Amino acid sequence: MMSACESRSRETGGLRWLARLLAVALVICVAPAAAFAHAALIATDPADGAVLAQSPARFSLTFSEPVSPLVLNLVRPDGTVLPLTAFHLDDHTVVVDNPAPLARGTHVLSWRVVSADGHPVAGSILFSLGAPSAAPAATESVDWNLRAAIWLARVALYAGLFLGIGGAFALSFLAGGGRDGKRFVATALLAGLAAAPLSLGLQGLDALGAPLTHILTPAIWRAALETTFRFTIWIALAALLLGLLALMLPRAGKVLSLAALLGTGLALAASGHAGAADPQWLMRSMVFLHGIGIAFWCGALAPLGLALKRRAPGATAFLRRFSFSILPVVAILVIAGVVLAIVQVGTPSALLTTAYGNLLSAKLVLLAGLFSLAALNRWKLTAPAEASHAGSSRNLVRSIGVEIFLVLAVFGVAAGWRFTPPPRALALAAAQPAAIHIHTAKAMADLSLAPGHTGPVTASIMLMTGDFGPLDAKAVTLVLSKPDSGIEAIRREAHKAGDGTWRVDGLVVPLAGRWMVRLDILVSDFDMVTLKDAIAIRP
Amino acid sequence: MLAGFRPLFAAGFLLAGAPAAFAHVTLETGEAAIGSSYKAVLRVPHGCEGKATTAIRVKMPEGFIAVKPMPKPGWKLETVRGKYAAPYQLWGETVTEGVLEVKWSGGDLPDEFYDEFVMRGQLSADLPAGEKLYFPVVQECGEAAERWIEIPQAGESEDSLEKPAPAITLRRKK
Repeated sequence: MMSACESRSRETGGLRWLARLLAVALVICVAPAAAFAHAALIATDPADGAVLAQSPARFSLTFSEPVSPLVLNLVRPDGTVLPLTAFHLDDHTVVVDNPAPLARGTHVLSWRVVSADGHPVAGSILFSLGAPSAAPAATESVDWNLRAAIWLARVALYAGLFLGIGGAFALSFLAGGGRDGKRFVATALLAGLAAAPLSLGLQGLDALGAPLTHILTPAIWRAALETTFRFTIWIALAALLLGLLALMLPRAGKVLSLAALLGTGLALAASGHAGAADPQWLMRSMVFLHGIGIAFWCGALAPLGLALKRRAPGATAFLRRFSFSILPVVAILVIAGVVLAIVQVGTPSALLTTAYGNLLSAKLVLLAGLFSLAALNRWKLTAPAEASHAGSSRNLVRSIGVEIFLVLAVFGVAAGWRFTPPPRALALAAAQPAAIHIHTAKAMADLSLAPGHTGPVTASIMLMTGDFGPLDAKAVTLVLSKPDSGIEAIRREAHKAGDGTWRVDGLVVPLAGRWMVRLDILVSDFDMVTLKDAIAIRP
Repeated sequence: MLAGFRPLFAAGFLLAGAPAAFAHVTLETGEAAIGSSYKAVLRVPHGCEGKATTAIRVKMPEGFIAVKPMPKPGWKLETVRGKYAAPYQLWGETVTEGVLEVKWSGGDLPDEFYDEFVMRGQLSADLPAGEKLYFPVVQECGEAAERWIEIPQAGESEDSLEKPAPAITLRRKK
C-alpha cells in the first residue's frame, strides 16, 4: 500500500508540482484577509527589566501576530549561553520551558522568530534573579558576509526575473523575430536560476542566525522552507524555467513568456514587506503590477539596444512597438510604486529618518535619472532612430546602455530593503499598547496603555470579578507612579467608554521603564477593591 | 534607664502621628473589648477639599450590633436596617438583624470647623481579639465626596493608605 502510494506520487510528481504551483498562486490571489503585519513583541513574562524572587519555571513571549520560533537562547550572568529547545505555541504566545534553576544575577533571554511575512524578527529581554548584576554580553552581531551574500543573490534574482524573463517576453512579443540579446537574456535567466535556491538557503541561514559555512546543513534548509519566502522561490524558479523554454521554443514563445512574466509578478507578491501590509489584496496586486511593469520595461532594454546597435533589420519595428506600449506600462508601474511607497513609508519625514526611507530616497534619485533618460529616448531619439538616422541610433544605443546600468543600480538599492523593516512596520510596533493583566480573588483587570511608549497615552481598563463575572463598578481611579525615579502618583479618574471598558484620556507618561500601577475600583459605596501591578513602558 | 525617656518617646510619637490623625476621619477611642459596649465617636476634622460637609454615612462592621446613633441638632438622622451576615447572641437572645448603615444628612459643617458624630453599640464576643475592626465612612460635601473606606490588605501597612477606613483594635474582655 505504502509503496503503491509512493510510486504513484512519483509518477504524478510533475502534475503535483504544477498543482502546488497553482494552489500557491490561488492562495496569493485570494490573499487571506487576516492582518499579516510584521510581528511585534507585545508582552513578555518575565517583563523586561523585572527582578524576580524565584527562578521561573517558564518564560513566555507574546507577539502581535502568530510566529514560529527559530532560536531561543538564555544568556546567563556569567556569559554562558543556554539554548532553550523545549517550547510550544499558544496562539500568539511562545511558551518556553526553563530547563534548569537559574543563578542570581541578570539574565538575557534572546529570541529569534519568523513572522507571517517571512522575515525573521529578533530581540532580547533582560531580567534578574534576586538582584540585578551587570548585564551579560549578548549582542546580536551583524554577519556582514552573510548580508553581502543575501544582497548579491537578491540582485541576481532580480536580474533573472526582470532582465531575463522581461527579455524573453520582449523577444517573443516585440522583437518581431529578431534574436538580438538572446545570449544576454539567457545569462540573466541562468543567473536567476542559480540565485533562487541560493537565496532560499541564505534566508535559512539568516533565520537561524547561522554563518555562511552552515549553508549545507539540513536544518538551515528546513528553516528556510518554513518561511513564506519559499513561495517566492518556487514561483520564481518556475517562471525562470518558463522563460528559458520561451527562448528555446520560439513557436510557443508568446504563451511561455507571458506565463513567465505573470510568474514574476506572483513571485514578488508572494512574500516580502509590501505583500504583508494591509490591505493585502491591494498591496499584493500593486506588487504584482509593479513587478510586471519593471520586467516589461527593463527586459526590453538589452535586446532593443543590441538590435539597434547591430542595425538589425527588425530593429526599427522593435523600437516602434516598444515605444508604443511603454507609456501605459510605465504609468501602471509608477502608480503601483507610489501606492506601495505611501503605504510603506507613511509619513514623508520617514524618508529621511529611517533606513528604509533612505533606500527609497536613493531609489527615487536613481529613478529620476532613469526616467529622464527614458523620456529623452522616447521623445528626442526614438523618432529620428525610427527614421533610420545613424547618429540618433548611436545615441539611443548609448543611452539604453546607461539605462541598463541605472536599472541594475535600482535593483541593488531595492535588494537592500531586505534588511530594513518599513516605517509602516516600525510605526505599528511603536503603537503597540503596553498591557497587563491583574488577577486577585476579588477582581481582575486588563489594563492597556496605548501606545505603550512615553508621551500621551490612553488607558483602557476592562474589569471582571475574580471568577470571570461582570463587575459593575461605580468608579475607577488609575494611579501611576514610578518610585525609583522619584515620580509620585499620577491619579486619574476613569470614565465609562460605553463599550464596557473604562478609559482615561489625555494621560501623559513622561519616562520609560517600570511603572507601578494601581487601580482603585469602587464596587459599592463602602467597598473598594485595589489592584496593583507594574507595567513596562517603552522609550 | 529607658523609662525616663518614655514621655519623650510619647511626645515624638504624637508629633509624628498627629498630622495624619488630624487629616483623616478617625475614631476617638482606638481600642475596645469584645463582648462589651462601644461608643464610637467619629471625628471629622475637615470637609472635602475645602467644601463644607453635608452628610456622613457609616457602614457598620459585621459584629458591631444593636447600634443606636446619637441625633445631632441641625442634622437629619436615618438608619438602614437589615439582616446580619450571622446571628449573634446578646443578653441570652439571638439577634439576627439591626442597623447596617447610619446616615447624618442635611447638615452644614464648614471646612474650618470640627465636629463629632456618635453612635453606641455592642461588640460581639465572637469577634477576633487582637485584630482590627473597620468602620468605612463616606463623607459627602454636596456633589463631592471623600471615601474613608480603604482597608489594608494582608502585609500592607495602614500608613500607606491614602484614605483609610476608621478602625479600632479589638482586645479581650478583662
